[in-house]
Amino acid sequence: MIYLSQLLNQKVWDAFGHVVGLLDDILVNSTEKQIAPVAALELRKARPELRLIDAKMIASLWPSITLKVDISKVEPYQPKGHELPLKKRVLDQQIVDIEGRRLVRVNDLQIARQGDSFFLTGVDASSSGLLRRLGLEGLSKSVGKAINKKIATHVIPWEFVASIEHDDPLRLSVSQSRLVQMPPADIAAILDDLDRHTSKALLQGFPNEELADTLEESSPEVQQAVLSQLHPERAADVLEEMDPDEAADLLADLDDQTSEQLLRLMEDEDEEDVRTLLAYPEDSSGGIMTTEFAHVPADFNVGQALDFLRSSEDALEDEFMYYVYILDEQGRLKGVISLRDLVTAPLDKPLSDWFDDDPVVVNPLTPQEEAAYLIAKYDLMAIPVVDPATHVMLGIVTVDDALDTVLPTAWKKKLPRFAGR
Amino acid sequence: MKKQNLKLPLWLRKIGLIFTILGPGLITASADNDAPGIATYSSAGSTYGYSFIWIIIVITIGEVVIQEMAARMGAVTGKGTADLIRERFGVKITAFAMLCLLLANLGTTVAQFAGVAAAGELFGVSRYISVPVAALLISFLILRGNYKNIEKLLLILCLSSLSYVITVFLIKPDWGLVLRDAITPNIQFETDYILAVLAVIGTTITPWGIFYLQASVADRGTDMAKYGQTRLDVMFGSAWGNIISAFIIITTAATLFTAGIQVNDAQTAALALRPLAGEWSSLLFAIGLLGASLLAVSVLPLATTYAFCEAFGFERGLNRPMRDAPIFYGIFGVITMVSMLVVLIPGLPLFRIMVLSQSLNAILLPVLLILVLILANDHQLMGKWKNGTVANVLSIGMTVLIFIVTVVLFAGELL
Repeated sequence: MIYLSQLLNQKVWDAFGHVVGLLDDILVNSTEKQIAPVAALELRKARPELRLIDAKMIASLWPSITLKVDISKVEPYQPKGHELPLKKRVLDQQIVDIEGRRLVRVNDLQIARQGDSFFLTGVDASSSGLLRRLGLEGLSKSVGKAINKKIATHVIPWEFVASIEHDDPLRLSVSQSRLVQMPPADIAAILDDLDRHTSKALLQGFPNEELADTLEESSPEVQQAVLSQLHPERAADVLEEMDPDEAADLLADLDDQTSEQLLRLMEDEDEEDVRTLLAYPEDSSGGIMTTEFAHVPADFNVGQALDFLRSSEDALEDEFMYYVYILDEQGRLKGVISLRDLVTAPLDKPLSDWFDDDPVVVNPLTPQEEAAYLIAKYDLMAIPVVDPATHVMLGIVTVDDALDTVLPTAWKKKLPRFAGR
Repeated sequence: MKKQNLKLPLWLRKIGLIFTILGPGLITASADNDAPGIATYSSAGSTYGYSFIWIIIVITIGEVVIQEMAARMGAVTGKGTADLIRERFGVKITAFAMLCLLLANLGTTVAQFAGVAAAGELFGVSRYISVPVAALLISFLILRGNYKNIEKLLLILCLSSLSYVITVFLIKPDWGLVLRDAITPNIQFETDYILAVLAVIGTTITPWGIFYLQASVADRGTDMAKYGQTRLDVMFGSAWGNIISAFIIITTAATLFTAGIQVNDAQTAALALRPLAGEWSSLLFAIGLLGASLLAVSVLPLATTYAFCEAFGFERGLNRPMRDAPIFYGIFGVITMVSMLVVLIPGLPLFRIMVLSQSLNAILLPVLLILVLILANDHQLMGKWKNGTVANVLSIGMTVLIFIVTVVLFAGELL
């Protein structure tokens, strides 16, 4: 295996043993999604016209860098503008390891030969890469011997890497398409560790839905930084894609003018949901409830109820739908039935034979901890939130949101990088 | 989701407002006046009198310029100092810089624990109890991630450094004399004096202060259009810390230097507050010392660990479980353990350690300053926000000055 660190600053020889210059950098074409062929060698201490040498001229890279032809016949490389200089832009920078779902620093880069061409194959982010850079490879081996274990060189294949340069639109989009494959919580954790410029640039290129999912998992600082950079129309679209309770949390952190503007730009129905939630204190059940839940009229039979659910807008928006709530014409909660019981019940039986007509409920001002406690006590997947005066059902607190109050998400627990944030 | 603080009574909100305004300044001031800081200034003031004030003035200029540079780098790049060093200079130089940072911060952490020990002994608690308890308590709070409230309490304890300001006005020093000495450069060529100068520099302009400030500005995500405000905050904060330092020197000079008492331990250092607090002076001094050292102990090992892991790309962050980030937790543990154990060496002169650790800080500082200067002048990195001539002249001047003082120190030792 050849590593970039072993090649840099080495002499580049022509076919007849003349020194052409010293290797300063290697340029690869990385616009293709998977492979990154070496495009050119960048030299220093070389004649001006030989600063960039076409990769076609390379006879070998290891153990010495030699060219196929005489110095007078070396073809210079004409840059096309999209080449990636490995030392300047990749080595020592941070990249995302898509498979490992983490942010790593590039300690070295691995280059391999295939036929007549050379390719960038992977990124070495391991400690042995660090020791190699420090010229302490021997140490790594003897330590390995001492603890009777080989210190592994872990190379991440180039196709599983997303480089994160905010000033390079072309590669940014490649990175975005790779990042979006990761779970939103992992993306959010990585973005939180990145510098602001980069995380903003990355997120802005995400499709609305993925952006909304990632924002839900992000810290308030990241949420605000990203949202403030979006065009208000798009910001409103993204807010519509978010769970209303998350959207409300985000809007509550913005200044009144901005949040009012965004609310007006949202679709009426979503706007209304969020406004309702904004009215409740942050630590109450109302603050974490979602207003999207499946419900059916009380006087239906099982078959009618199932048909109703298929065409019901509210049921479609219920991401969770473990329970179906039975409401009267005024929207008052009459009972609850789990989707399982509903599906397994005979189609022609009236719903009233099957549903639980005395469900455990909370009111919007019930503290979150109490909602979480009730969910745990009665082994529920969600608990309905009901207006104490009118008995109108307002929403549900789902078990995942309740869990968040007991076991905070990663960023809530995270101390600022320097404890001063 | 309604803002809960709307329910707070008006007077409490007003106090909160004062805290937000004083925020950056207060933190920087407390960082300047941590335990080794108080020790260094007390010892310098009691040994050399008002003549140290002019050094404070020179250092203030240096600190304002250097801190502003760090803040600007954080605002422009959004990255930490360690990130930038690694990305610009590669592994070898980074390793050297991190070694220096590690040494300097280890020394300073030792000094903070020495501060805990000294404060404890003023309360009549043995250092073999106070130091391990403090180390365990702070580590536990940090690892549990709920230390934000403790930070506020510690900041309030640190306010007791204001008692020096009050004391000065109580003892009414001869302001004419103070002023004359403040503007009359005075240099002595003896090892102790040079060590004291280095200690005062090293406790005021700290490697970790630079890392801390850059990271917090980067994390806050300052908009460059509004950078003027941040710059003002930073400059005011740096200057504010040094005003307190000057007051500590004036107090100790007026009370102890004139009485011929040299500060060699916490008991004598506390005597300086006698005009204000009478027989309660050692209590007041101990509270300030304890607050300052605990605050620093809760920030320093963690800050060092973050910088180290950032530079080398190790998994980091308290939100990672221990098995995912063994190096992060390992380094944090080692720094805390080693500094704690050093302080527990029987018969260790606590005050001397506090001062000498700061001299070490100053000696290691130029390594970092050179790297920071190169970064701040990098056009590709900083664009139109790169260093101006004034910033360069002043900060290079400061770097050279520290270097010369260090050379004089070692030359003096050899001759």
